[in-house]
Amino acid sequence: MHTIESEDLQPIHPEPTSFWLKYVFSRDHKVIAKQFLWAGLLFLFVGGTLAMMIRWQWAFPGKPVPVLGSVLLRDQGGAIGPATYMTVFTMHGLIMIFFAITPILIGAFGNYCIPLMIGARDMAFPTLNLLSFWTFVISLVLVICSFFGQLGAAGAGWTTYPPLSTNIGTPGSGQTFMVAAIFVTGVSTIMGGINYVTTVIRHRAPGMTYMRMPLTVWGLWLTAVLNVLFVPVLGSAALLLFLDRVFGTQFFIAGAAAVRGGGDPILFQHLFWIFGHPEVYILILPAWGIVGDILSFFSRKPANWYRGSVYAMCVVTILSAVVYGHHMFMTGMNPLLGQGFMLLTLIISVPAEILFLNWLRTMWQGSIRLHPPMLFAIGMVFVFGLGGLTGLYLGATATDIYLHDTMFVVGHFHLTMAAASFMGSLAAIYFWFPKMFGRRMSEPLGKIHFWWSAVFITLVFTGQLISGYAGQNRRLYNPYEYTFLKHLLPLNRWTSYSAFILMAGQLVFVWNFIHSLVAGARAEMNPWQVGTLEWSIASPPPHHNYDVIPTVLRGPHELADPLVREKLGRDWIGQDEPLLEQTPGTSAPAAAAGRG
Amino acid sequence: MRLLPLLTAPLEGHGWGMPHDASLDGWRIDDLINETSLFVILLFVIMVAWMLWACFRHGERHQARFDHGSSPGSIAVALGIAGAIFFVVDGHLFINSVLVWKHVFGNFAWAETQPGAVRIEINAHQWVWAVRYSGPDGKFGTRDDIITLNDVTVPQGVPVIFQVASTDVLHGFNIPNMRVKMDAVPGMINRVWFVAKETGQFDIGCAQHCGANHYKMRGVLTVLPREEWERWAAVASANSAVAYDPEDNDAHWAWDWEKHARL
Repeated sequence: MHTIESEDLQPIHPEPTSFWLKYVFSRDHKVIAKQFLWAGLLFLFVGGTLAMMIRWQWAFPGKPVPVLGSVLLRDQGGAIGPATYMTVFTMHGLIMIFFAITPILIGAFGNYCIPLMIGARDMAFPTLNLLSFWTFVISLVLVICSFFGQLGAAGAGWTTYPPLSTNIGTPGSGQTFMVAAIFVTGVSTIMGGINYVTTVIRHRAPGMTYMRMPLTVWGLWLTAVLNVLFVPVLGSAALLLFLDRVFGTQFFIAGAAAVRGGGDPILFQHLFWIFGHPEVYILILPAWGIVGDILSFFSRKPANWYRGSVYAMCVVTILSAVVYGHHMFMTGMNPLLGQGFMLLTLIISVPAEILFLNWLRTMWQGSIRLHPPMLFAIGMVFVFGLGGLTGLYLGATATDIYLHDTMFVVGHFHLTMAAASFMGSLAAIYFWFPKMFGRRMSEPLGKIHFWWSAVFITLVFTGQLISGYAGQNRRLYNPYEYTFLKHLLPLNRWTSYSAFILMAGQLVFVWNFIHSLVAGARAEMNPWQVGTLEWSIASPPPHHNYDVIPTVLRGPHELADPLVREKLGRDWIGQDEPLLEQTPGTSAPAAAAGRG
Repeated sequence: MRLLPLLTAPLEGHGWGMPHDASLDGWRIDDLINETSLFVILLFVIMVAWMLWACFRHGERHQARFDHGSSPGSIAVALGIAGAIFFVVDGHLFINSVLVWKHVFGNFAWAETQPGAVRIEINAHQWVWAVRYSGPDGKFGTRDDIITLNDVTVPQGVPVIFQVASTDVLHGFNIPNMRVKMDAVPGMINRVWFVAKETGQFDIGCAQHCGANHYKMRGVLTVLPREEWERWAAVASANSAVAYDPEDNDAHWAWDWEKHARL
């Protein structure tokens, strides 16, 4: 019965034949996923280049930037000036969060993995998916416009706090373009989020209960729920700020600059962080899910206490909405309110510890294969461990007094949002590349890329933690203006060298990615020998994914089952693969027999 | 070899620890940070050792165990460990934070009532700290107010209470050596206080991004012995009275000292 229902719900549509409908304005979730991946990787490079400029400034303040300076900063003699510097770190933050990590982890892998891993033929709303991507492209155009805005690009910091982000602090079209870009990309994200939420609820294959979904799908789904709930709040904040900038309203202007009463700058912070704290979980939940699956697959062992991980991610999702106040301890918040936010923030460490324990215990007593996806997954646990633990100091109202707005915060959130998302994204890319493109990436190059990245990303962000502990405030054009920071120049220089080497090491990845794309070995159906649904179909999958919508029989991590080993002679079994029926005539075992 | 100085570069200077604590109560923050660091480092080392051990001992040749880790005993272990870490590490942070705020950093009732306590209004704007003392009459906005720019001079050993505001964008009034920090917000008056334990000169920094010259918004805090400060204040007040210009409206920012009751 169920099979007939889901076949009726998702009939097979023929693949479009024209170039434009097939590759550009495609409604196929797999094509849209790749479009998001290309866009995200491109802007990851832009954001990374901006990061290198910040690091250069802290290592060699006011000195001409090699190579980039002569191209981008010719009118300033190749050096970064204070006004340019603030646009550089602002654009770095906004691009990385909204236009690099979001499209890669959510746009690309959300789109690619959700339908395939739940046994669906496409998203619930393919046209909305198309609109989501092209709305995202409009926001990218606005970002590019911002770079060419009069008076330079946006400069109020990624948090865009007013009144600095109003015309009082940052006149010029660059900031306005960026506020508009945030609004438009928010529209795109909401469209994607509604699609993901609906797809997971409506399009799971028969037998794919919630508790049989891969952790990747759980992570992506919870992220989508958060996006649908909280991106509208960001959108409203961006809209009000846009009105303040363009139409002369005063929602966020107060004090001497306000006429007729004015508004409240702190209101923006509430709106921003009630989105902004869920946002850090929006960016990390997909990586948690992906890592939860990959650690199990490459330890050849079931994920430890699967339900515990699922519940922990759900609890984090709920708590993420009620802890945002810890970003505002220094705004003059009532200490009692601060204590409430502190308690809620610290409670998050309980589900986080459950997740960590599950990851560690998944590896224990496994049969670990250190392929690149596994290395990057372990790397994610390492950097997220460091990042999560350093968050403790910032969630407590007393220790935060000293550490608030220092480089310690920058190191902490880079370890969690940047390094962990980076590791999670790369684990995902190395893992699903064979499925996405039908070819294998080079394993040795992947391993070189991992060790290079892991060592230097850790050095970069622990360097930031140390300089923050020594008191260096964030966003300083020249920290050495302060006497108590002068001695940090060698440390910062060392951190910058690590950053440059980290950036250079990504060439290994770029080469591996592009070379494998055109000349990599052909990938078989199931190169990693795992049981989730997407590995039971061809690599790359056909336009409609599944000829027959699979019927799911078990959870995603049934590895090392002695019964399976006895019957099938291997340590894994597909989620839809019958074990006890011996008749080869039914469709599901026939499909299973074709697996590598 | 050019490489060698490169490798030793971070070892120059004077160490990377927190800046010298010159305040009476800064140690409460420092201790809490350092105690938490002990826990954090311990947990991190255990985690890394666990993963390394698993990778070496339970590698490809090791037979994986078919175990979902969802037996009641296994779940109890996970919840027990998570709970224990939460109550020890997070509990330690929480209780100490609450106590420190209650008794020290949020305890303006005590600071305000100390004899000799000094009250200062800070009006931040791009990119200076405008400073105002009430002068001998104890009232802000009068002729005898001491007015300085980027220059905060305070006595040693008594509470110094700041009320902080801003006229344009957000700023962050930050004195790392005294372990205090508070945002200056347009339309709000925020408060912060400390007792200087040592005399000397210390940096005042801006903690909130406030525009292109954010990095230059540096003030100097000078802590003087109490009698010396009294002499300084008398002279500064007399000078301010001489320089007082009733026509100069920009110089007449001030507000009545707010004694709002907060927790």
